[in-house]
Amino acid sequence: MKITQTRQFKIFSDPFLKNNPIFMQMLGICSALAVTVQLKTAFVMGLSLTFVLAFSNLTISLLRNVIPRNIRMIVELSIIATLVIIADEMLRAFLYDISKQLSVFVGLIITNCIVMGRAETFALGNPPGLSFLDGLGNGIGYGTVLVAVAFIRELLGSGNLFGYSVIPQSFYVAGYEDMGFMLLAPAAFIIIGLLVWLQKSIVKD
Amino acid sequence: MPDPIKSFLFAAATCLICTLFLTAASTGLKGIQQKNIAIDRQKNILKSVGLLDEAVQYTHTGINRQYADNIKCIRVDETGAILTKDQRATKGLPVYLYMKDRQIEAYILPVDSRGLWGRILGYLALKNDGATIAGFTVYKHSETPGLGGEIERQWFRKNFNGKKIVDSDGNFLSVAIAKGNVMDTVDKDRQVHYVDGISGATLTGKYLSSGLKDILAVYEPVSLKFRSRQLLRLSGKEKICPAKEEK
Repeated sequence: MKITQTRQFKIFSDPFLKNNPIFMQMLGICSALAVTVQLKTAFVMGLSLTFVLAFSNLTISLLRNVIPRNIRMIVELSIIATLVIIADEMLRAFLYDISKQLSVFVGLIITNCIVMGRAETFALGNPPGLSFLDGLGNGIGYGTVLVAVAFIRELLGSGNLFGYSVIPQSFYVAGYEDMGFMLLAPAAFIIIGLLVWLQKSIVKD
Repeated sequence: MPDPIKSFLFAAATCLICTLFLTAASTGLKGIQQKNIAIDRQKNILKSVGLLDEAVQYTHTGINRQYADNIKCIRVDETGAILTKDQRATKGLPVYLYMKDRQIEAYILPVDSRGLWGRILGYLALKNDGATIAGFTVYKHSETPGLGGEIERQWFRKNFNGKKIVDSDGNFLSVAIAKGNVMDTVDKDRQVHYVDGISGATLTGKYLSSGLKDILAVYEPVSLKFRSRQLLRLSGKEKICPAKEEK
């Protein structure tokens, strides 16, 4: 059997396009609006969420047979919250400037519906290995959308990519102007809408 | 074992393990984080007098060097007198000086104001005429991103440059954040004491205005010295802030 046909691969790769958490389930939209003005913040945010999601899925899946049913959500939440705070502390130590720009949004990963959603629907019913892959896949799926939106917003909004200016000066001289609207939150809404359209037209059931 | 007890024990164990992880992360990374915070403060002091290009990324050593080359920190008492080396007990208020060719080019006051959701910490730089604002920065706040959080953004901060804290007769007035655009909401002769407000963040502006006024009032004796041209260079006898606090 080819690797692309295994269950593991399917679980890992489905959330990229076919079952992307942002496109299909409309989860995690809030942070997708807030941190996508620049590629740098979007990238770090995607990375942080992938870390949290993969390890929360792994931990919860390992504990899935011992967590008492009546307090399972609280336990899940404590695990997620712990991971988020660890991610936040790491950013503060190693990427201080970006962590200042992300401000509350790293902390808000705790309330990102994707994390709780994957824990409830996947990690509680599947073995640790698969859960980890599922977390990784969903995190990367989310991160990809964030980076795609940020790419468009940073390029059109400030003429930069990763903070480096890419639009040649001669364009500005010729009358080209940055689109200020791209720096505002509603622009992300419109871009996500367009991307959903694109995704729906590529993926047909 | 009955269910409630099992749940209770499980919850307790979860808490304990999570706490261990959090403590390890927090204590293990504290040293690096504090260093970052110290650098960030130096960066903001340099930024308040326009020494750093906001778009450029600087290395830690670069910041350290710029800071050591240009900034001196001294202490003053309530009457504006500079504390000298031989004075011991009194703590005094810190003032950062931007030195250029051994002259004081600007002085920088630490800002500690109330905000809507928490304290706002930053720096307000004044030119050596004791009346004109040279710059304003914020390095820590808990305001809502996109609303009050805009206080740390360049478009808001740059409006402070050139504003006056005294009227034309030399009386202390402070600088305030207008409710809306200064051009539309403030009388023409008072516009020089106001900066543009942030829509959706009226309260942040209100608290920051009163915070700035309090701080400028506390430091008014120092500003007076600058205004009367009594303070232009250092004599060398001043007590320099301990390196630890300067960070």
